[in-house]
Amino acid sequence: MKGLRHPFLQGAIVIAVGFVIFKYVIGYVLPVFGIASAPVPASVVFQYTLTVLVGVLLYMSAEESRWEKFREPLKRTMVDHDRRRLRGVLMVAIPALVGWLAYQNVKPSFGAPATLRSVHPAPPNQITYRGLPIELRGLENPLRHSGTLEEHVAVGRAIYTKNCVPCHGDRLDGDGHFAGAFNPIPADFTAPGTLPQLTESFVFWRIAKGGPGLPQEGAPWNSAMPAWENILEQDEIWATIIYLYEQSGASPRTWEAEGEEGAEE
Amino acid sequence: MRLDLRNSSAAMFVALGIAACGGGGDAGSSGGGDTGGGAAPPAATIDPATVGTISGMINFAGDAPAMRAVDMSGEPDCAAAYTGGGPMTQSVLASGGGLANVFVYLSGGVSGAPAASGAVTLNQENCRYAPHVLGAQAGQDIQITNSDNLLHNINASPTTNRGFNISQPRAGITSTQKFASAEVMVPVRCDVHGWMGAYIGVVDHPYFAVSGANGSFRIANVPAGTYTATAWHEEYGEMTGSVTVTAGGSADLSFDYSASMAGADVPLGEPLVVGHDGAHTHAGQ
Amino acid sequence: MRLHQAVRFAVLALFLAVPAAVAQDAAAGKAVYDLWCAECHGAEGLGDGSAANAMLPRPRNFSEARYQVRTTGSGELPTDADLVNVIQNGLPGTTMPGWPNLSDSETGDVIAYIKSFSRFFGQGDAPQAMDFGRDPGGGPAALEAGAAAYLALECEACHGSTGRGDGTSAPTLEDWRGLPIRAADLTEAWALNGGSSVEDIHTRVLTGLDGTPMPAAIDAMNGGVVTPDEVWQLAHYVASLGARETPPLLEVVRVGRADGALPADGSDAEWEDVEAFHFPLGGQVIEIPRNFAPTVDGVWVQGMHDGSDIVLRLQWNDPSRSPDPLWDEWQVKLMGALDMDGADSIALDSLGAPTLRPADAFTVQFPFEIPEDNERPYFLAGSARNPVYLWRWNSQDGVSAARGRGMESFEDLVDDPVVGDASWADGRWTLYVRRSIQSEDALSFTDGVAIPVAFSAWDGSSAEMGKRASISSWYYVLLEQPPSSTVVVTPLIAMLLTGAFGLVLVRRAQDRGRA
Repeated sequence: MKGLRHPFLQGAIVIAVGFVIFKYVIGYVLPVFGIASAPVPASVVFQYTLTVLVGVLLYMSAEESRWEKFREPLKRTMVDHDRRRLRGVLMVAIPALVGWLAYQNVKPSFGAPATLRSVHPAPPNQITYRGLPIELRGLENPLRHSGTLEEHVAVGRAIYTKNCVPCHGDRLDGDGHFAGAFNPIPADFTAPGTLPQLTESFVFWRIAKGGPGLPQEGAPWNSAMPAWENILEQDEIWATIIYLYEQSGASPRTWEAEGEEGAEE
Repeated sequence: MRLDLRNSSAAMFVALGIAACGGGGDAGSSGGGDTGGGAAPPAATIDPATVGTISGMINFAGDAPAMRAVDMSGEPDCAAAYTGGGPMTQSVLASGGGLANVFVYLSGGVSGAPAASGAVTLNQENCRYAPHVLGAQAGQDIQITNSDNLLHNINASPTTNRGFNISQPRAGITSTQKFASAEVMVPVRCDVHGWMGAYIGVVDHPYFAVSGANGSFRIANVPAGTYTATAWHEEYGEMTGSVTVTAGGSADLSFDYSASMAGADVPLGEPLVVGHDGAHTHAGQ
Repeated sequence: MRLHQAVRFAVLALFLAVPAAVAQDAAAGKAVYDLWCAECHGAEGLGDGSAANAMLPRPRNFSEARYQVRTTGSGELPTDADLVNVIQNGLPGTTMPGWPNLSDSETGDVIAYIKSFSRFFGQGDAPQAMDFGRDPGGGPAALEAGAAAYLALECEACHGSTGRGDGTSAPTLEDWRGLPIRAADLTEAWALNGGSSVEDIHTRVLTGLDGTPMPAAIDAMNGGVVTPDEVWQLAHYVASLGARETPPLLEVVRVGRADGALPADGSDAEWEDVEAFHFPLGGQVIEIPRNFAPTVDGVWVQGMHDGSDIVLRLQWNDPSRSPDPLWDEWQVKLMGALDMDGADSIALDSLGAPTLRPADAFTVQFPFEIPEDNERPYFLAGSARNPVYLWRWNSQDGVSAARGRGMESFEDLVDDPVVGDASWADGRWTLYVRRSIQSEDALSFTDGVAIPVAFSAWDGSSAEMGKRASISSWYYVLLEQPPSSTVVVTPLIAMLLTGAFGLVLVRRAQDRGRA
């Protein structure tokens, strides 16, 4: 316990925790809890970690006694006779590490370049459907107010099975029999980051306008999602949306919830 | 009706497998094969003094359509067996006013029949089935032999019965199969040679025949009585007639097919081709 | 002997335990079935769901109880364990996925319900798995014996001499409904619908795949054509014909720099040492008419350059060398069987042969310029605003370059220096293309930069033309840079500097400590 009070160890822990958060928690742990996120590029992780390091140094040097204590283990390693073995090891290991990092930077790379893509880009306020304008903001699924749920689900199920299954799969998890051929891979409607986070109007926009209708940040040139306005009627898309929510057991995000979040921002 | 069509050697394996005995299957054995036959009338003993014979003709009027050449160039050994214009398709074989390969059977009036005995045979020779149309009693062994020293598979696609698909890659291999229930007709196909097709008519009794090259047929040992008889042809469909058999007598029965009946509805056990608007694909040769 | 009996008893107990472990509640199974299965297999299990004709092979008709993947003899019903296997793992290479999301009891219930569609189940004894004997093991000798068994059983009649499904009987194969069906491509074991393990393959050989042309070889084995050990060796041999798992997707084709001359054609032995990259292709299902059942499902790509020219070798499996009249019947049957999604139908002549036999075709697609940022042309053959640069090949006209503005809008680039040649052997096309690295009118390949590339393929004998294609997403080609001294020098300098800095730091600290 006493060791934890030592400023050097505290500083080291803060930096390590920061690194772990930037490198792993943001990209891989948050999605587990249904929060949309993506891995942080290595260069950004480096920058953030450096910022934390500077912060730690500033904090440690703000007070003379703390700074002395913080420096003490470093100093002892450099000076003390009984630490000469550790000193020797570090004198070799640190240059070797730097050399290795430098090599990683300059060696020829054959990896795919990082491409940033917004998975759920902000929707426009208005779209056109076969040329006719539709206001998206505040738009509800009209089929929620007519007919029966069973009818709409049956219509949507048939449309989904013929048109969507090849990519999004029978299980709605984005693992259809053609899914492997497409990059980015088809959306997984069973993931907590997809349907439950979206209003039905957003889903309607994505289905109607497809990949070509994405804004630049959504990388429209890569998406294999068709613009279904060319193939399906509006009510067919709305029925398919009802099927998606019913079959996956999710509830659509409401405009009230959307409004609250907007107010928070 | 019980499910009982099994590859007898496979059945042997099942029977022997758990006991870990291994061993080959005697293809002719009855192992596991005849648990059913529930649909067949109870076996009856027929007094020879009360039986008669049905004999008759399948007449054919008009010009038979020209049969098409079969391209057997992929199997030179088979192609070499055909000289002159052959080989040709065999769906309509008419000569001298008679129509061959018509399956004739008593479809009404039969009460009780002797149990199936013996075996019928289906041979594969020169990349053709011999015979092209075959009758068998429900539960009767059907011995299928390969006389060609090359690969055939025998793919039977019944609907009422269980099917099978067995390969015979060499001459001399025999498979024994049987069908538990009546089914007219069971299509048989060799997938290696798309032109090879045959039909097996399965009925509950032994009162059936297939017309010969001149259109004649003969059904012997039929108990005296009045029956409905049905004729089936793969291109011209079904016809029915009535026949009365007297003890020791010979009853005449004939069916009149004609070329104008082309395109008739040809019933198989149940519709086989689903959602497919192409050609009728089980017509075989 | 005791031990043997104990083992036998254990095996027997296992057999009895398997069905007992599966819950059987058909009523509960109906709910699961209606939710997940009915849309393809039909409400009454007839395999006639709403989308069935967009699927080849078709969904199973449960009323016929004709099952492909079984451990029972030809024509027999499957065991419950067989049905569990198919439901959990799906049928690779078909539209049937696995359903690992169903619980064991849901799976058991839905099996009970599926069986209730057929009059064949529930009569007589429960189906029993065959005894498949013991695997004598693999190894070079076993593979040799397996290759001999492949010939003895004449597997090549349908599967072809190298297993790519291009045998002489392949064009006329049909399933039990008379619909066209492919002989499995054994070199793509990951897409074998009964599984890719040696055990799976062995089982398929002895039981056949009911409803398909694949027969059971049990009578041939019992008839002495092959021994039981040789059937196992055949399974080892088939499993050795290709990867069992889908090849990893590496996204970047590494185009190495050649020391000497570039390979002169697609058959150059030098290609054997060049790394090949696999890219999966899927049906074009984005624009109408869509291709729901494409022939070509992937392409292997290799590349080399020498600083002035780049060569690519592309290989993909296609059992037909189109156009080929031997595949007329296939083409006609396929057009009748598959939902063509509004594609113009090809007329038939008076003898029933198609009046048009499309060629096989392949396209390699690039942007016209290396994109400076993320943006690039639309992956599906570009757009009017942002066209793509294409190397187009087809089996009748050879290789040419074009500007593409969408899937059916091309403009030939007659002055483009791209050349190439293709050959077909044993169910596989090998396409060789060569072009100068620099170009004034189209893409110049800069080394060290990832350049977007995409692929599409057409099988003419399956009436694939225009939008009815197999397509890929954007991937990359990357041309290796000339060897550079910086790769060695930079890390060395960094190490020396760090070491010197450390030494100075320590010396100063020690001096101060003494002072």
